[in-house]
Amino acid sequence: MSNGYEQASDLELARLARAEDESAFAEIVRRYSPRVFHVAYRFFRERSLAEEAAQETFLKAFAQLKSFEGRGSMEGWLTRIATNTCLNIVRATKRRPELVAADLNEDENEWLEKKLSETSSDRHREVENRRVAADLAERLLETLSAEDRLALTMIDGEDASVSEVAQMTGWSESKVKVRAFRARKKAREALEKLFS
Amino acid sequence: MNDNHITYTLDNSSLRNLSERDLLAIRAHVEGCAQCHRAYQAAQISALLVKECADEAVENFGSVNPFFQTRVLAAWREQQAMMSVSAFRRLWSTTGALFASMAATTAALAALTLFVPSSEPASQQTAALVPYSAEAVVLDQDQDSQLTDDQTLSAIYADDDEGK
Repeated sequence: MSNGYEQASDLELARLARAEDESAFAEIVRRYSPRVFHVAYRFFRERSLAEEAAQETFLKAFAQLKSFEGRGSMEGWLTRIATNTCLNIVRATKRRPELVAADLNEDENEWLEKKLSETSSDRHREVENRRVAADLAERLLETLSAEDRLALTMIDGEDASVSEVAQMTGWSESKVKVRAFRARKKAREALEKLFS
Repeated sequence: MNDNHITYTLDNSSLRNLSERDLLAIRAHVEGCAQCHRAYQAAQISALLVKECADEAVENFGSVNPFFQTRVLAAWREQQAMMSVSAFRRLWSTTGALFASMAATTAALAALTLFVPSSEPASQQTAALVPYSAEAVVLDQDQDSQLTDDQTLSAIYADDDEGK
């Protein structure tokens, strides 16, 4: 969908959108939807939830356009808004169930047993049943706080550096390290409990 | 058995980022420590699951709903409309009471002026209409006060002029 603003700079788009120019706002949404969705999918597996979070991010961004002065990139600015929006949504749900063996389905139990019986090098091969692994991962990550989960997913899952996470969230680097440490410990202990 | 357990090393950084030296130390330790062996297995599976979750997120984000932009713009328009309504409401909530009392007072005064018959006595009404005071009528002062200085002088000296 062409809106005539494809060539406009981010700062120009922000200025026009502030003046309630719908086409400029539409161009911001078009340009940065993939980035915002990337953030949202870190928190939500369900597409509808990710879309809700992405929509809320853009509406918040519009309300905060006055604070965008073009010193940093719009992508970075939107990423931070998206991250905080998702954190708030996850916090609001307050769902952090404990990981217990009785809640696992047959496939998940089987997958875990298989992984436990494999040697260390086997474990790093391609995961056969990815769907089961993803479901189990979701169960495991649900036991963590939203902040711990974000730090763990970004650092261990996406190979992001501590400073990248700090920049994206606005936390200090030591806070990121503490979050990641705590998340690893909690996830490890939850799995150990399952094995026993 | 080495008493230096490895759980801190496992939790302190991603397994992928552990140095070869750390990995060798971990492997050597877990051979003689069942507790740490289980911890190491759990850490490996945890890392695998986290990676799986991140990979799935990356796969999903490649497919943004083509109607997403339309949906956001519709929500934006709705929000704008609600904001203009709420701005009027805010204005009304701050000035509404004052405005309503002013309107009520004006309406009451208009009603009193137009519809309520006067209850004052007729004599007072007449007095209000006639621009003369009682003193002016009795003493006829009003007429004197209307004479100019020239007229007064000519009235005083008129007899003298006639005598001459």
